[in-house]
Amino acid sequence: MKRTTIFISLRGCLRTLAGLTPVIALLLALTAFVPSALGQAAPEEEARPIPLLTGSAGFLTGFTGGQPDLHPLVTPLVLLPIGPKWLFETRATLETDLVQVPGRSGFHSGPVQKEVEYAQLDFIANPYITMTVGRFLTPFGIFNERLYPVWIRNLQSDPLILPIGIGPSNASTGAMMRGGFRAHPQFNINYAVYFSALSTTSPVDSDRFAGGRAGIFVPKARLEIGGSFQHLLQQERSDLFGFHLIWQPTRLPLDIRGEYADSKRGSGYWIEPAYKLSQLPFLQNEMRRTQLVARYQQFFTGPLPSDSLPPVNTKQFEFGLNYYFLDGLKGSSNYGRQFSSAGNANVWTLGLTYRFVVPLGPTGSAR
Amino acid sequence: MRKTWILRCCLAAVALLVRSAMAQEQEKAEKSSGTGAAAAAATASSPDMHSPALPKPGREVVAEERAARLEGEKRFRTNCGRCHQQPHKFPPRVMATAIRHMRVRAMITDEDMRFILRYMTQ
Ligand code: HEC
Repeated sequence: MKRTTIFISLRGCLRTLAGLTPVIALLLALTAFVPSALGQAAPEEEARPIPLLTGSAGFLTGFTGGQPDLHPLVTPLVLLPIGPKWLFETRATLETDLVQVPGRSGFHSGPVQKEVEYAQLDFIANPYITMTVGRFLTPFGIFNERLYPVWIRNLQSDPLILPIGIGPSNASTGAMMRGGFRAHPQFNINYAVYFSALSTTSPVDSDRFAGGRAGIFVPKARLEIGGSFQHLLQQERSDLFGFHLIWQPTRLPLDIRGEYADSKRGSGYWIEPAYKLSQLPFLQNEMRRTQLVARYQQFFTGPLPSDSLPPVNTKQFEFGLNYYFLDGLKGSSNYGRQFSSAGNANVWTLGLTYRFVVPLGPTGSAR
Repeated sequence: MRKTWILRCCLAAVALLVRSAMAQEQEKAEKSSGTGAAAAAATASSPDMHSPALPKPGREVVAEERAARLEGEKRFRTNCGRCHQQPHKFPPRVMATAIRHMRVRAMITDEDMRFILRYMTQ
């Protein structure tokens, strides 16, 4: 029985690898065009890296139907550089909800939830390839891997399509090859190709799938566009697609981000412009710290049901105001309105988030 | 049906964005052509920037350092505010770890990483 499963999974892997052959061939072909490709060793860094304890802490307050719900959380991330080419990194989240219990005064805490979000070992093989093994954030689209931490996201709510393509616990268990390189004087290419095995141990569960993401970044225009692909190697064995965009016009203090994702369990998109008020001619010190954000998103249900996605077609509009007190410390307030056939709802959030970086060793001078 | 419509709209929006970004760049290049700033940026990306080991007359080394710093700052501004707010400078060995992390997570290129690390640890 066991052997059959292994055989099936091996066959699945091979089939997926065969499916990914054009992508891999394209990547290798691209690297071949770059002068002094592969053989080159990773650069000698000028300062020797030390272990770090970093991450974020947040205190978020949601108001649903006028009832406050306090949500403190802390997300430590440990970075352990080993030699000139290796990095071990792991991130966990501890969070709880404080709610008002009828008939009792004050707020009461529920159980503290702890979760190891990822734990991975990275090997920087050369300027074009980094290999990762372990449990890593699934690089489908951009939100999960790049924007998820509370100190980074512009609006505290998750996009409706976030669960598409990232697996049951936002992470994959397996191996990944990734990298970024200058492919042309005008643009860089970044790519990630991964395989994840099935794991049913909660909360570190993951699905069996293989996929990739590639992006083109034009530094002069500060524009990145890219696409994601994934083939599920279990259940309905379907294909998932995604598309993303990040644009920061050089002339305006504006960030525009957006994503589209499509799967058998639903599809949708979000688009999020964020504007820093630094161009206003008054209160300049305050205005350059103030950011206005808007996000519009739509979700469409798919032919198959999903526990993590909305059960009905949904539209959502959100508006936010962020204030950056200092590097890493941000105050934010969001208002959102959701429209769906299940009823319309308002969502308010107030929050304070902080990103910390604590060296675990002498920070001294270089070398 | 609806999905292909959305996809087409996304592609059209991207085409527009790329066009306007390119027009903007061209305009900027026209404005700055022939100025000292453009010349400094051009020398900064010349290949010999990567191996500043040879003994050189003092003035040349200073000019090279300055060009490398300008290039580092430019690359920092281009790359380090794409996902989160641009961070401030940390001590050199802290920065070295964060940059290695960003190299993996954000897929910053090898060359960008060297310039940025140099700029952020000066
Ligand atoms: C593609 C997106 C992206 C880009 C581009 C990016 N970062 Fe980050 N950065 C992140 C994410 C995501 C985190 C948080 C990691 C986590 O919590 O899992 C982070 C965290 C950090 C931290 C906190 C310490 C750490 O290593 O986690 C520092 C410092 C940092 N980035 C500096 C930089 C610098 C300098 C650059 C430019 C070279 C840069 N970042 C470019 C996504 C990015």
